[in-house]
Amino acid sequence: MIFTIFKKELKDTLRDRRTLMMMLVIPVLIFPIIMNVFVSISASFQKEAATKKIKIGMVGEKNNFLFQELKAVPATVGPKEIIVYKDTVSMLADLKNDSIQLGTFVPADFNQYLDSMKPAPIVFYHNATDMGMQERAEVYMKIIEDKAKQARFKKLKIDEAKVQPIVTEYRNIASDKEMIGKLAGGMLPYIFIAFGFIGCMYPAIDLFTGEKERGTIETLLTTPVARWQILFGKMGVVVLSGLTAATAALFGLFMSIEVLDVVDNKEILEIIHSILSVKFILMLYSLLIPLTIFFAGVMIPIAVYAKSFKEAQSIITPLNIVMVLPAMVGFFPGIELNTVTACIPVVNIVLATKELIAGTLDFGLVALSFTVMLTLAIVAVIVSYKRFDKETNVVM
Amino acid sequence: MIEVTNLKKEFILSRQQQKELNTKEKTALAVDSISFRCEPGRVFSLLGPNGAGKTTTLRMLSTIFKPTSGSIKIAGIDAIAQPQEARKKIGFLTGSTGLYARLTPNELIQYFADLYGVSKSDLAERKERLYTLLDMHEFQNKRIGKLSTGMKQKVSICRTMIHDPEVVVFDEPTSGLDVITAENIITLIRDCKTQGKTVIFSSHIMSEVDLLCDDMAIIHKGKILFEGTMQDFRSNMQADNLTAEFIRIVHASQNA
Repeated sequence: MIFTIFKKELKDTLRDRRTLMMMLVIPVLIFPIIMNVFVSISASFQKEAATKKIKIGMVGEKNNFLFQELKAVPATVGPKEIIVYKDTVSMLADLKNDSIQLGTFVPADFNQYLDSMKPAPIVFYHNATDMGMQERAEVYMKIIEDKAKQARFKKLKIDEAKVQPIVTEYRNIASDKEMIGKLAGGMLPYIFIAFGFIGCMYPAIDLFTGEKERGTIETLLTTPVARWQILFGKMGVVVLSGLTAATAALFGLFMSIEVLDVVDNKEILEIIHSILSVKFILMLYSLLIPLTIFFAGVMIPIAVYAKSFKEAQSIITPLNIVMVLPAMVGFFPGIELNTVTACIPVVNIVLATKELIAGTLDFGLVALSFTVMLTLAIVAVIVSYKRFDKETNVVM
Repeated sequence: MIEVTNLKKEFILSRQQQKELNTKEKTALAVDSISFRCEPGRVFSLLGPNGAGKTTTLRMLSTIFKPTSGSIKIAGIDAIAQPQEARKKIGFLTGSTGLYARLTPNELIQYFADLYGVSKSDLAERKERLYTLLDMHEFQNKRIGKLSTGMKQKVSICRTMIHDPEVVVFDEPTSGLDVITAENIITLIRDCKTQGKTVIFSSHIMSEVDLLCDDMAIIHKGKILFEGTMQDFRSNMQADNLTAEFIRIVHASQNA
């Protein structure tokens, strides 16, 4: 009987354009669209920042060391034009209205500092809202500083190696896979949670509140089928819709990587391929199924209680924020799966998935996360059953 | 056969409902210890004004609501102890029955036949008979959402009768229907009677009751004010016509 109800509800759901849009079309398309737009915009910004000819304002003598050296910096580092100002007030005014992008004040005795082997002070002005300008100044200054340093070593007849007593090398022992897992791995469970929730939402409202609103539930309750069977049949479709939406979103993400080539780094691409193994996908789903059941179990009592589609939607939509917000934890580096975080619903799934991607999974903690989610899913199903069994909730 | 003894239904009122009904009572008594009996091959009518308790009674008979106390027997089955067994014997139709708009009549009938456990051969035979009787062949594969009210009503009738129920419960079946569409329901009730089925229907229209029923009960504020045959009702009438007599009985109970 559960399967008969499941089959019918699935057919009914697949014929609902609104659910179909939320369950399949939007999740599949959203990532190719977002990633394509993001990659092309960021690439064009990067290109513009690197090739943009910037104007550097300077207050100081024309024959000073900095002016000469700045002029000599090759254009390949970034084209530039130097404009000399008489005072800092007019230079800063121009910097503010973006007539120039960098400003520098070179003291009149700048060359004397250098000649007397003292550190020569210099100030660079930049507008932090104009992205990348400080970095451009740092690149120019690194070249000039290195040149000045070499000149001093030569003048002092010092071997550079002798003034560098310690050479420190930092070696990263984390694999690239681990790095991706820990730093970017939060995105995957976030996608699953966000789309899993949205995917559950419309079928839950349609199959419970909608049936009440359309007056079909009364007839269904007069058939020789137990209420728990009706609930399970409908709940199965809600859970499947959530999982389908999440899978569709992942498929969209996969298509963005494979077809639209948004990841052009071959090494990263290879790591992504190695992450997406059958074992990984099976483990991911084993964590996500209880989560989706939990989502369905939270939504169904609301959908059963609500008298109209609008009422159900107005309660469930804010719930989306409450449920999906903990998933953001996955984006914070440093928060890891431990006995405490494994007991926090949603957060545990996000962190466990991150560990799964990084390949640093502690099976004990995953089992704890799974048990917590399974327990909550069972509680949610019991609450749903209690609500659905309450006659005044089901019949208007 | 339907046997109802001392049937009572109390609803617990939420704070919101208490506010809406302007009462401090924590419960509302919808049906107050009613008893009646509906015989096979006869049509029983539950007549009463709006809010009398007709729908609550019929919902208890069809096991949608659990009674607070009392007993219900449907074709000899205790409907409170064995609701699923009792439901197998019942066909339920209301005037406000909705249908799954995204399914076709064929899909809907198949679905309900599956829920009632109707065998393939029985389904084929009954479907053919009902489709012919109700002239449904033409629109059997169209989405229900695209059908006219009359066509939808035919689908509802077919859905109600597909498991060949012994007892048929109609809750204000003609409410909101035009006379032509309502005629399908009237024909169905007469057919059920001819086939020896037990029929109970609720209505607030005396003329409809007069047209169809053999036995009747007048219900008001959850209590039965009259129970007997239509013949008894006519012969003991104190007012000029049936509608006036119905109004007189209701008013007399209010003044008592």
